[in-house]
Amino acid sequence: MTEQQVPKTQKCIAVLWPSFMVAIVATGLFFSAFDPDDLYPFGEQTEISRMGIYSIGFLVFWLITAVSGIGTLYFAMTNCMRRNPDSRDQ
Amino acid sequence: MTSPSSAGSPGAPKSDDHVEQSLYAKAEKIYPREVHGLFARLRTLGVLGLLGLYYILPWMRWDGHQALLFDLPARKFYIFFVTLWPQDFFYLAVMLILAGLLLFFVTALAGRIWCGYACPQTVWTEAFLWIERKVEGDRMKQQKLDALPLNGRKLRIKATKHFLWLAFAAWTGFTFVGYFTPIIELGQRLLSFNLGPWETFWVIFYGFATYGNAGFMREQVCKYMCPYARFQSAMFDSDTLIVSYLPERGEPRGSRKRSADPTALGLGDCIDCTLCVQVCPTGIDIRKGLQYECIACSACIDACDDVMDKMGYDKGLIAYTTENAMEGKKASIFRPRIIIYAVFLVAIMAAFAYSFSQRIPLGLDVIRDRNTLYRETSEGLIENVYILKILNMDKLQHQYELTVSGIPGLTLHKDMATIVVASGGVQELPVRLRADEAELVVRSSDVVFSLVAIDNDKLSVTEDARFLGPQ
Repeated sequence: MTEQQVPKTQKCIAVLWPSFMVAIVATGLFFSAFDPDDLYPFGEQTEISRMGIYSIGFLVFWLITAVSGIGTLYFAMTNCMRRNPDSRDQ
Repeated sequence: MTSPSSAGSPGAPKSDDHVEQSLYAKAEKIYPREVHGLFARLRTLGVLGLLGLYYILPWMRWDGHQALLFDLPARKFYIFFVTLWPQDFFYLAVMLILAGLLLFFVTALAGRIWCGYACPQTVWTEAFLWIERKVEGDRMKQQKLDALPLNGRKLRIKATKHFLWLAFAAWTGFTFVGYFTPIIELGQRLLSFNLGPWETFWVIFYGFATYGNAGFMREQVCKYMCPYARFQSAMFDSDTLIVSYLPERGEPRGSRKRSADPTALGLGDCIDCTLCVQVCPTGIDIRKGLQYECIACSACIDACDDVMDKMGYDKGLIAYTTENAMEGKKASIFRPRIIIYAVFLVAIMAAFAYSFSQRIPLGLDVIRDRNTLYRETSEGLIENVYILKILNMDKLQHQYELTVSGIPGLTLHKDMATIVVASGGVQELPVRLRADEAELVVRSSDVVFSLVAIDNDKLSVTEDARFLGPQ
C-alpha cells in the first residue's frame, strides 16, 4: 500500500490515538511517584497549580509519544514502499 | 462461517482485500433503525443505570467528603470508605489488573457482552442516538432530511440537535472533571464564571471528545480505534457466547407471503426483510457470519424475533449461541480457560483483600537537609538535620512517639514536645540527630527512625536514613 492511499485522517488517528493512551499511563505512573510540588523543573520553583502541572505533564507526554508514533508511521511506510516499488504506480 | 479467531484479526487471508478497502474508504453514515425487544430493554436498562451512576456518583457524599473523588489537586483518592494515597499506588495497579482479568473472564464466557451493553462508547452513543431520534425522527426521516439541500427547516432541526448534543456533552465534561476535583466547589466556580484555566480546558476536552465519539465517530471507534475489539477474539473459544444467524434454518432466504408454506416454495425461514441489517449499529449483515465489527448488541436478535413472531415462525433465527451448539456438539461452561481465569481472579482478589486489610495507615518519609552535610555543635557533637514527613492515613487523630537508633549514644532533638497528626493530615517535622564523633566508625552511618502511635502500637513504621560525619 502506498502512502497516497492512506487518508490523512487515518494517519492522524494512527499517531494520536495510541500515543494518547500511552500518555495517560505514563502520566499516571510519573505523578504517582513524584509530587509536582517537589519538582523543580530546570531548577526553578513554579507557580503553576498541581492541576496545571498534571495537565502540562500529560500534554508533554502526549507530544513525546506522538512524535514516536510519527517515527513509526514514517519508517513503516517507507519500508513498505521500498519492498513493493511497483505499488507506487497504482 | 468464519471462525472467531480469524474474524477478529483484519489480516485474515480470505477477506484481506475487502477489509483493506473498507478501512481506507470514506465511512458512510449508518442510520441504525430503532429496535424494541428484550435485549433492547436490557440495553436501555444498562444505559440508564450506567449513565445515572456516572452523573450522580460525584454528587454523593460519604463521611463528610465526596464519595468518589480522585482528588488530584490534593493527591488523595477517596473511594467510599477507603482513602488512597500516592503510597498506595500498588493497590490501584492491582485493582486495574483485576478489572482487566474480569473482562477476560467475562469475554471468554459471554463474548462481547461488555461492548453491547456496558462500554461507554455504546452507552453514550445510545444516548446521542436517542436525542437524534427525538429531534430528527426515525431512520427514514433522518435519511430524507440528510438528502435534502440545506434549507430553513433543515438548518433549524440540525441546529437543535447539535445544541442538545453539545449541552449534554458539556455536562458530561463537567461531571468528568468533578471526579478529579471536588464537584460542589467546581459547580460554584462554574456558576460564578470562575473556573480555573485547566478545569476549563478539561471540561471542553472531554465534552468535545464525547460529542465527537458519540455523535460522529460512533461504530468507527469500535471498528478502528478500540484495542479491546482487536484482541478480544484471543479470549474466544468454541463455547463462547456469540450472536449468530442460523444458516441451516434460514437459507435459502427469500420473500414470501405470510400465508405461503416455505417448504413448498423451497425456502428457509429468512424472509430477507433486511431488518437485521437496518438495526445494526455497525452496519453489518449478521447473515454473513461472525464478523469483527459485531459488538454483540443483539439488536438484530430483537428485530428478527419480532419478524418471526409476525410470520408465525419460531423465534431464534438469529440468537445468542455458541459455535459448538451450532454444530450440534455439547456446550460446556467449565472449560480450562474459564477455570484458569477464575482461579487467577479469585487468587488475586484474595491476596488483594488480605494485603489491604494488613495496610498500616501511617507513612513516614525522611528527607535529609540538603544544604549542610553535618555541623559541629558547641558541645563538640556531630549534628545532622532532617525533615520528617508524617502522613496519618487513618480515620482518627493520633499522637505518635518518635525514636531513633543505629549509633550508640545517638540523641534526637525536636522543637515540638508532642507529635499529633490529624486524620488525613501531613505533618512536617524538622529534627536534629546528635552523635559523639568517637562513635562514628565510617563517614556515613545507617540510622533508623521508628514512629509508633501511642494509643495503638499496631500503627508503627520505620524508615532508614543516613547520618554523615567527618573523616
